[in-house]
Amino acid sequence: MNKHPYVRAYLAGIAIPTVLLLLVMTVYTIIRYVYDIPVPIEKVIVFPMAAVPNAWGLWNVLYLAFLARRHFSLGLFGGALPLLLAPGGYVVTRLLAFAVPHEVYQIAPFALPVGLIVYYLVWKYFVGFLNAELGIAQFSKTSGQML
Amino acid sequence: MSEREMEELKRLLKESMPAMQDAELRRDLWPAMQQRLAEPAIHMPWWDWALLAAAGAVIFLFPAIVPALLYHL
Repeated sequence: MNKHPYVRAYLAGIAIPTVLLLLVMTVYTIIRYVYDIPVPIEKVIVFPMAAVPNAWGLWNVLYLAFLARRHFSLGLFGGALPLLLAPGGYVVTRLLAFAVPHEVYQIAPFALPVGLIVYYLVWKYFVGFLNAELGIAQFSKTSGQML
Repeated sequence: MSEREMEELKRLLKESMPAMQDAELRRDLWPAMQQRLAEPAIHMPWWDWALLAAAGAVIFLFPAIVPALLYHL
């Protein structure tokens, strides 16, 4: 398992958002077409569908290329990803002239820290586990750290 | 199939699949297996539990966060 480590890092990175996307799309389809919620989310749904999983994959490749050998925390590195994704999502909504509900701006101060925490934990435990399973790095079960 | 043909078939099979040479393991694998079994399940430090609890509490208090999180996940 020494061949193509960056391909394996990319695949380990995209795995979790790709699986979650099934859940998100199911919920989206139900609320939009079953309950007829009048918010045209399909205009901006391209962001979680395309950009986010690829960003996860590329972020994991960057980690493997530059930080894994220095034993930098995968959780902290992954936890920083929302700092790019949140502005990215906002830019997409602006470019597509999507009217973001006012409530979203009100909860943003709470949503960002929660997003950072969720990303930190998911990257530390889930992506770290997948990296270890794909032979990219060793994963300590006792500390959740990459070895 | 006659008895002679069966014997011939056995002989051909044995010829095509010779017995493994040096089939003994070079080292005992059982201690490594025991060590692997004795490893603890994933252990989360207390600060990760605290972060998880804090995130859960905020989501509970402000459930409108969930769509925003799903959008970025």
